[in-house]
Amino acid sequence: MKITGLVTVIICGALLIFYAMDFPDFGDGTSPASTYLSPYFIEHTIEDANVPNIVTTVLADYRGYDTMYETTVVFTAGLACFFLLRRKESQNPPARFYRHTPTGITLRIEEGGKLPAEGSKVFMRIDSLWAPDSLIIKNTCRLVIAFIQLFALYVVAHGHHSPGGGFQGGVLLGSSIILFAISNDLRRSIKRFNEKTSAILGALGVLLYAGTGFLCLLLGAHFLNYKALAPIFRSTAAMARSHGILCVEIGVAFAVMAVMIWIYYNLSSAGKHDEGL
Amino acid sequence: MEIDIMTIIVGGLLAIGLFFFLAGAIGIIRFPDFYSRLHPAGMIDSMGLLLSMSGLALFTLFDGGLCLASVLNSLKIALIVVFVYITSPTATHAIIDAGMRAGLKPWTKKRNPQSK
Repeated sequence: MKITGLVTVIICGALLIFYAMDFPDFGDGTSPASTYLSPYFIEHTIEDANVPNIVTTVLADYRGYDTMYETTVVFTAGLACFFLLRRKESQNPPARFYRHTPTGITLRIEEGGKLPAEGSKVFMRIDSLWAPDSLIIKNTCRLVIAFIQLFALYVVAHGHHSPGGGFQGGVLLGSSIILFAISNDLRRSIKRFNEKTSAILGALGVLLYAGTGFLCLLLGAHFLNYKALAPIFRSTAAMARSHGILCVEIGVAFAVMAVMIWIYYNLSSAGKHDEGL
Repeated sequence: MEIDIMTIIVGGLLAIGLFFFLAGAIGIIRFPDFYSRLHPAGMIDSMGLLLSMSGLALFTLFDGGLCLASVLNSLKIALIVVFVYITSPTATHAIIDAGMRAGLKPWTKKRNPQSK
């Protein structure tokens, strides 16, 4: 099995290197990209899509297919992590650790011992490897997470005008949840944003992207040609492309956020989702 | 080229801020162990950032004239300092806490007589 994988990787790599030699040189002035594509993008972005940020337009409109499959790749990475790592939570872990909150005493309960009630306010389950009860860290993260999420929404929505967009905003949203998981613990984070949510949101993001493209197809234009959405948005063709880019960016943000969180859950707990980091 | 009072103030603030950045960067390399290295790292975030960012905020405030846009820009720069002042000490606290829990002993001259 290992040898098959190695051979496949070597063949793919060799093919990649072989065909990469046909590419135009880096910074070649006579390559197709710089003779007519880049000038076209620079000159026509505003009249085509009414978006000041050329990068966003190229990413989500002119090369919409590329970004759609990038989003799919992100989602596939999440799925791959899930299939490789996810295990059932062991029903009887060797020992569990609880903190008696009023006194700060840590209890170690052996297998078969009587466990405190699930929603107990007095006893808090803690991780076996790492269990600081740091008020400073928890409160700072509580304070900061709201601002991170607000900024993430700004980055997603403001991708038309400034650096940003779906990928960056999605990463910020995901990292806010991961920060919560690090500052508190994995179980509480999963209670608020569970695995099912992340899987569904990841798929929903890809669906939103592909669905926007498919809607254009239904309205009689090419796939991902947002011009066709003009009657839906009640706007001109250029503004419709701008709005279409926003729809697509929101899809990307959903997918990236959910996949980031999902991968973190699987990696940090080695797929058991019971405790970790 | 005339030099007015704002140029001197802004330039002075930036220069002192950059001095703290430089000192912090040297300190991270030169200090003997993990815990003491965190001290210059924290200094970069606090003094260096505060001074250089206040220099930049003053610059945007007076360079663009006293209008809403430049006031907003200065406020955004001030917000950078606010957020770093909230998060950076917490990060230093968490790192030191992690080091202590992992069992790393602080450096003392008695324990490491041969090191400089």
